[in-house]
Amino acid sequence: MIGSISFMEFAWLIPFVPLLAFVIVGFFGTKFKGGGGLFAVSCALFAFAMSGLVAYEFFTGSGVPYSPDPIQWLAIGEYTLNFGIYIDGLTCVMLLFSSSISLLIFIYSIGYMSGEGKGKRRYYAEISLFLGGMLGLILSSNYLEMFIFWEIMGVCSYLLIGFWSFKHPDGDEASAAAASAAKKAFLVTRLGDVCFMAGLFVLLWSFKSLDFGVLFDPAEIAGVDGGMILLGILLLFGGVIGKSAQFPLQDWLPDAMAGPTTVSALIHAATMVKAGVYLVARSYPLFVQNADAMLLIAVIGGVTAFIAATMALNNMNIKRVLAYSTISQLGYMIMALGVGGYIIATEMAHGDVSSDGYTAGVFHMMNHAFFKALLFMGAGSVIHAVGTEDMRRMGGLSRKMKITSFTMLIGCLSIAGFPLFSGFWSKDLILEAVMEPSSHSIIFVLLFVLALITAFMTAFYMFRLWFMTFKGRTGDASAHCHGESPKSMTVPLVILSLFAAFSGFFIFLGLNDVITFSVIGGEFFVGGHGHSAAYIMDHIMTNVWTYVSIAISLAGIVLAYMMYARRSIDPAMFNADGKSRIYRFLTARYYFPQLYDQISLKLGYSVAKGVEYVDENLIDGTVNGLSNSVIGTSGSMRKLHSGYVRDYASFMVIGVITIFVVLYILVTSGGV
Amino acid sequence: MEFIGLEIPFLYLLLLVPLIGAVLSGFTHKNRKMAKYVAIISSGITLALSLMYIYALSSGDYFDSTSFAWIDTEWIKISFALGVDGMSILMVLLTTLLVFLVSIFSGSESNSPNTFFGLILAMEVGLLGVFLAQDYFLFYIFWEVALVPMYFLISGWGGPRRHYAAIKFFIYTHVASLIMLIGIFAMAMMAAGGGPWVVGGGAVDFSFAAIRDAMENDMFDKVFQTAIFGMMFLGFAVKMPVVPFHTWLPDAHVEAPTAGSVLLAGVMLKMGTYGIIRICLEMLPDGAHAWQPVMIVIALVAILYGAYACIAQKDLKKMVAFSSISHMGLVLLGIATLSELGITFAIFQMFAHGLITAVLFMVCGIAGHNAGTREIPLLGGLAGKMPKFAFFMMFGFMASLGLPGLAGFVAEFGIIMAFFEYLAGTAYLWVIVFALASLMLTAGYYLWAMQRTIFGKETDRIDIKHVHDVSKPETLALGVLCALIALFGIMPWLVVDMLGPTVDMICHFLGVI
Amino acid sequence: MIPIELFLLLSAVLFSIGLLGVLVRSNGIVILMCIEIMLNAANINFIAFASHSPEPLAQIFVIVSIAVAAAEVGVGIAILLRAYKVRKSTNIDDLTTLRW
Repeated sequence: MIGSISFMEFAWLIPFVPLLAFVIVGFFGTKFKGGGGLFAVSCALFAFAMSGLVAYEFFTGSGVPYSPDPIQWLAIGEYTLNFGIYIDGLTCVMLLFSSSISLLIFIYSIGYMSGEGKGKRRYYAEISLFLGGMLGLILSSNYLEMFIFWEIMGVCSYLLIGFWSFKHPDGDEASAAAASAAKKAFLVTRLGDVCFMAGLFVLLWSFKSLDFGVLFDPAEIAGVDGGMILLGILLLFGGVIGKSAQFPLQDWLPDAMAGPTTVSALIHAATMVKAGVYLVARSYPLFVQNADAMLLIAVIGGVTAFIAATMALNNMNIKRVLAYSTISQLGYMIMALGVGGYIIATEMAHGDVSSDGYTAGVFHMMNHAFFKALLFMGAGSVIHAVGTEDMRRMGGLSRKMKITSFTMLIGCLSIAGFPLFSGFWSKDLILEAVMEPSSHSIIFVLLFVLALITAFMTAFYMFRLWFMTFKGRTGDASAHCHGESPKSMTVPLVILSLFAAFSGFFIFLGLNDVITFSVIGGEFFVGGHGHSAAYIMDHIMTNVWTYVSIAISLAGIVLAYMMYARRSIDPAMFNADGKSRIYRFLTARYYFPQLYDQISLKLGYSVAKGVEYVDENLIDGTVNGLSNSVIGTSGSMRKLHSGYVRDYASFMVIGVITIFVVLYILVTSGGV
Repeated sequence: MEFIGLEIPFLYLLLLVPLIGAVLSGFTHKNRKMAKYVAIISSGITLALSLMYIYALSSGDYFDSTSFAWIDTEWIKISFALGVDGMSILMVLLTTLLVFLVSIFSGSESNSPNTFFGLILAMEVGLLGVFLAQDYFLFYIFWEVALVPMYFLISGWGGPRRHYAAIKFFIYTHVASLIMLIGIFAMAMMAAGGGPWVVGGGAVDFSFAAIRDAMENDMFDKVFQTAIFGMMFLGFAVKMPVVPFHTWLPDAHVEAPTAGSVLLAGVMLKMGTYGIIRICLEMLPDGAHAWQPVMIVIALVAILYGAYACIAQKDLKKMVAFSSISHMGLVLLGIATLSELGITFAIFQMFAHGLITAVLFMVCGIAGHNAGTREIPLLGGLAGKMPKFAFFMMFGFMASLGLPGLAGFVAEFGIIMAFFEYLAGTAYLWVIVFALASLMLTAGYYLWAMQRTIFGKETDRIDIKHVHDVSKPETLALGVLCALIALFGIMPWLVVDMLGPTVDMICHFLGVI
Repeated sequence: MIPIELFLLLSAVLFSIGLLGVLVRSNGIVILMCIEIMLNAANINFIAFASHSPEPLAQIFVIVSIAVAAAEVGVGIAILLRAYKVRKSTNIDDLTTLRW
């Protein structure tokens, strides 16, 4: 608190200002110079500054989650739905890195999108909405609010991935691909979102509220059926699988590269996919109610990390490699959170416990945000310069693009887990966390091995990317590269590279006490009760697995160097004559796209054709048949009506005679 | 009703103003532009009246009524009774709003505009009458009155198969409403103290109040209620429409002019669900409980069937028509839960769907008019040439597929939540999957349609050079609708608060609170 | 006194002849004549009953009936004359403009 002003009271401005920027730029962007880019940047700057102030105020405060009385959104019967803000340590960390990275991406966009012309207005409006959605999601005080922003981000990703879905600079094929990728991203994440929504129903029905304050209260949780909680958290995790691209819904993310690179950076580093991880971390008090569910989450994370890394091994598209690496790293985070939750779930009943997995997962999410933003923006800088995304046509760029290549190198070192770079600290914490419950189940040992192999592959493919792009022979595309990118692009790169290199040290500078989760006396605590910096340092440095993982990532880097820089090992030998089945299997992404297509074809289009047939022939056929039979009958009946009066008179006479005859018979037979 | 110190007979004016407008616009054949202005002004006045009325009502519980004896004999009593509550004033607002916007939207209609606008205003009288009537006989009269102008709109201004579609529409709904009429007679006779088919006791009084009194005095036994519920429900179900009584709808929509489609889907379909809530639920609560499982099954079938049918459509407008069936099924699902939550959000969905579907049909109309065709396979890449059109189409589709922040989501969330609440604790919880699957399908067909019409390669199958973007009046109409969709998505309590007392009363009759 | 049955029989025979004529003939004039026969058959009935009753009512009816029949023939012939002028025919099968 500064003076008597409490910034946290105005925390709602953090998402509100970018949302306002969306409206203003969206409707009046053409009135601004440069399509409203500067306006969007200043709104992002405001959001960042405000986040900083709020975080400062929170960290200097008591550490109790700040959640003022919410606005009542709807109240029907016994259910109440609110709209409010919720600030704790996790919120502040998320706010800080999301807003700062987004700000840098916005600045970078001014250079990157300078050739867009009229499309700039749409671009800046949409990324502002994206940022607003993410910040709103982080600040949400209940699941419904979270879901609303979650979906807003979904639609933003749809719009931005499909930014070039018409009039693509690379021609019609590319615009069709972008349109298709956008649709895929939306539909696949929508599947997760529907699960999320179902989870909301379960929780709302069980708790009669969706406020975190209610749902995270141990007393309330105790009053709810465990089966319902299990169902609820599994469904919530379904949403995470969709949004954070976990197995088996991971396949939309590589396709999402069809959008501008800045959008990829935004989706992968600062927003969207992080939302899923954030949801798991945020819902920890609920998730830790069931150990088996947490085990499942850890396994899904591990499997995702592994298969995504394998797919990155032989891909030639610079952005796709990064996309796979994102999926793989997200798998790491989910695995860490799952393992940490498992420990809490199993030991909560026996006494106080805190979770290293939680710390590791959130820590890695933050570090990943920095280095992945850096990598994507570096890749964007390269693509901007050479005009292609195919790494085979690059090479030898380090001489022409010094800043880009150097900052990219820092990013690669960081993600590969090179000692002292940010990725090293968090990845090591994750490995350690996975090993911790190994006495409980053999599964954790397997997960650990999987994680180690993944670490090796990560180091390999990231340096494969770097060497192929910046070292080796000069490719045909890099031959007409016109040098380094403009200042608005390189300055963010430099700033981010500082973070990517050193953000790991935050864990010794107080972060260790912020991103923790512990159960003390049956109460849940986010923040506080963390290990001391010295303890963590000691733990990492004296652990034998730390050195194993260092060795493994070095091995990966060396292998990449031999294959792609020195060429002492020919990469072609792994795919002799292009016949390697594994190679094709990986290129085909484990045939996931075909699987998706088949499912949507069988469950969607084929059934639809059947319904259409039934509709036209059976139902409408019946209706038309009915009307035709009426028309037919009346057609034959109308022949009786000749229109000649004498015919009608004859009928009348015949009728009269008939009546008389009948009456006569009745009277004479004594019937009446 | 008093409005800022003035005593204004809103209930009569709401019917009288469009009626005068309809007659006036019939006399404007000399000046072709005149009809448009008459329509815009008179529907604008009606809209203003309904807004003022809502403001005047907002201090109370949104109840107001007036009545005078129309036919008052020893044997039969029919009163010209009008009245509103939260639900009907909402529908009145929807009607007046859509008629106003449609008049603006169709300003360029050049085929005998005087008759065209006259018919639209005449239809407004019928629609408003249905929502205002507090007497069964009056209700039935307005119900049929609304039908006639729509018939002429379709058969006079429609597409190539307009006569077929118009006759199908008219006969289908008319036959269903005759069955409803028998149900009305049975209820009125029963309430008068005789049997369902026998006049006995006192005079047959058709007013809502009399029949509600009879229901509250337990004059309707369970068997009677169940039987009459079936008859009334059939009448309303055809109007909604639900599968398998829906086939008049796609034909009518495909052939109808844009203004007709907007009013047909935006308001006319709501007459069916309005009737179910107002009459079936309010007057026949025991029947509602007996029919609950049937209603739920029908609703789920309609939702999924409509969604699947959308996927297979090639005509943009036919797709939107089928999506209406799916979304009206959602309304029925909400009603069928017979819970406070379900009924509230069913009414919300009626309102939201009215706004959203109006956008969708206007967009389809623009596609047909400006691009020359509505056939999805012939279109493609229109966003480049028609950015505003692409925006409105995307907005409408997103709203319709239930994007949070827009009105459609609130309704969808509430209804499925109500359905979950109904299923929770039973062995049939898995049935919720069908409701959730529809959300996926809805997203699927909308996104696929967008991919093929506004995105991708710019089409060369139509004459792309002469394609032009949305005109100013059209932008105005669409813009207002989009703004309202967003407004009610962000502030749903504006609507939900109005509905409280009405829903409480219905739930009280149903015995669920 | 002649029994009333004979009068009724005569009346029935005349009525049947008239009716048959209306039904089978297509000439408008003949149809008008047949209608006259049917009217007069009815009149005979009235008179026959009147002779067995002191009341004058039946005779009044007959006089009214004759007057109406005269008017009716006047109108009928006028219509036929107009039709003949337009269509050059008194055959009612030719006058089908208003038939569906």
